[in-house]
Amino acid sequence: MASKSARAIAAKVLSTLQVGTNGSLSNLLDDYRERDDYPLIQELCFGACRWYPALDHLLDNLLSKPLKAKESDVRWLLLVGLYQLRELSIADYAVINESVEASRGLKKPWAAALVNAVLRNYLRRKVSLESALQLDQNPGAASSDAKRAAAALAHPKWLFDRLKTERPESLEAICDGNNARPPMTLRVNLSKISRNDYLERLGERGIDATLGGYADTALVLREPCHVDALPGFRDGLVSVQDEASQIVPSLLQLRPGLSLVDACAAPGGKTAAILERETALKRVVAIDSSKKRLARVTETLGRLALTEQPITLCTANAENLDAWWDGNPIDRILLDAPCSATGVIRRHPDIKVLRTPDEVASCCESQQTLLAALWPCLAEDGLLLYTTCSVLDEENQHTISRFLAATDNAKCERITADWGVECAAADGGSLGRQLLPIDPRGPDGFFFALLRKTSEPESKTG
Amino acid sequence: MAVLPILEFPDPRLRTVAKPVTLFDAELKSLVADMRETMYAAEGIGLAASQVDVHRRILVIDVSETKDSPRAFINPTFEVIDEELQDYDEGCLSVPGFYETVSRPRRVIIRAQDEEGVPFELEADGLLAICIQHEIDHLDGKLFVDYISKLKRDRIRSKLTKAHKKSA
Repeated sequence: MASKSARAIAAKVLSTLQVGTNGSLSNLLDDYRERDDYPLIQELCFGACRWYPALDHLLDNLLSKPLKAKESDVRWLLLVGLYQLRELSIADYAVINESVEASRGLKKPWAAALVNAVLRNYLRRKVSLESALQLDQNPGAASSDAKRAAAALAHPKWLFDRLKTERPESLEAICDGNNARPPMTLRVNLSKISRNDYLERLGERGIDATLGGYADTALVLREPCHVDALPGFRDGLVSVQDEASQIVPSLLQLRPGLSLVDACAAPGGKTAAILERETALKRVVAIDSSKKRLARVTETLGRLALTEQPITLCTANAENLDAWWDGNPIDRILLDAPCSATGVIRRHPDIKVLRTPDEVASCCESQQTLLAALWPCLAEDGLLLYTTCSVLDEENQHTISRFLAATDNAKCERITADWGVECAAADGGSLGRQLLPIDPRGPDGFFFALLRKTSEPESKTG
Repeated sequence: MAVLPILEFPDPRLRTVAKPVTLFDAELKSLVADMRETMYAAEGIGLAASQVDVHRRILVIDVSETKDSPRAFINPTFEVIDEELQDYDEGCLSVPGFYETVSRPRRVIIRAQDEEGVPFELEADGLLAICIQHEIDHLDGKLFVDYISKLKRDRIRSKLTKAHKKSA
């Protein structure tokens, strides 16, 4: 029997991904988890996406004429090949042989000569191609040069341009952060074990970790590992969760007897973090629009044995209040709004391939709709925590400022912290706090705005 | 040791049903060694004796990524223990360059003898389960292209026939 090679599978998966109708890279990779060489397939797919804008730019310079749209699998095979030659320690001849062989696996034996020529050409011209890509951008540069500058930092041009306008001082740090491999971070269930005690238990298993510097529940592993290697994982001592999400419970000012709604709850990590932090909430409702994704909340809560708590799960669009709200004012609302996910590119590099500026605009619409719909449910003096895993102002501080302008009884409370960047309005008021993905062992890019419902209409001028 | 020539579809000899092995002698060991070498040279993960025109019930398989765990299966049979099917894009050293999706039971128990004639049993899932079923098909004169549509099979037949003429 002959088995289709990892490279052929990677090229197939990536060309399917790019069509954009079949969901995310992790979903597409699910079909191959049984294979012995799954780790290699995953590495090739994630790596090719992570460096896609740079690889794509290099490939354009290597092809004498563009490939037809229906040959996108061959194009991806070439991009995967370039990724291996650039970033991995696989021997050059092995990369070329395997890639040539994979063109047969794609049922396109005609491409063998092309694949061979392009990859060998890259090796021959590597120094000049790479230095042309990395050339320092000169100020009054033409637009083709602006595209090259984005490609050099492996970012799509639209995103690079926005970051350059909004965060010029952190531009390179953000791009480098997005290109890095993310840390594996754990949330310790403090109601069961202290962070230091768990750190010790990790040490006994030979797993090296350090205390997280942003959330008091966080431990950051030196090297990622399988969850089954974590002591007590099945018993709910720890969960895998980025440190930004772990900050959420501490901002909500939780105390016994409060009611809380998690409006976009799946897969339930933040819901669980809240329930672990405050075990005596009066009532918790976790809502998500996808039944399938909501099932993962049940799974998460089951593992952590949190199902004893007074929690209701509800499949609904959160803005459709009739579907889930009984009319009693709610003390705390977490709105982890749908967003461009531009803060978690290091975890989901396929965003570089898939996301378009149009999608960002449509996320902004949903964000406004959700905020406006949920606001009436909030009790007087209650708190709504608005979060996104985006780094774009449009979805973060601009969304908040639009909401404040349209809402009389809302006030954005300043989050005082030693992390992130304060987003200030023109009048000096707060519009939230932005975490940038610039610390290689720290949190993802994330945005937090803490909105309080005031009894008196907030004076906009005072 | 030697790399043996592999028969290619639509060669009628691939349709021969193989006979059981009764003699576990030095000749058998030498054939198994040659089959291993042939499989590695062709970058396959499994090879049936039928494919090298020896019509006896002998297989070699190595599904490891590192290509360092070859196993010989003499007089192999399998029993399905999980009726659930899994899809896999199968290819075959006798049908070079073509891959098609085939559904097969996910879990099987393999019963076979080793090169010394000692019987053994092995529970398999994933790629090994697929591979053993694919290879035992060869011993029964079957090919993976028998599971796909006639249209696709005929297309593969004509392409390979054309390629054979060219190289002849």
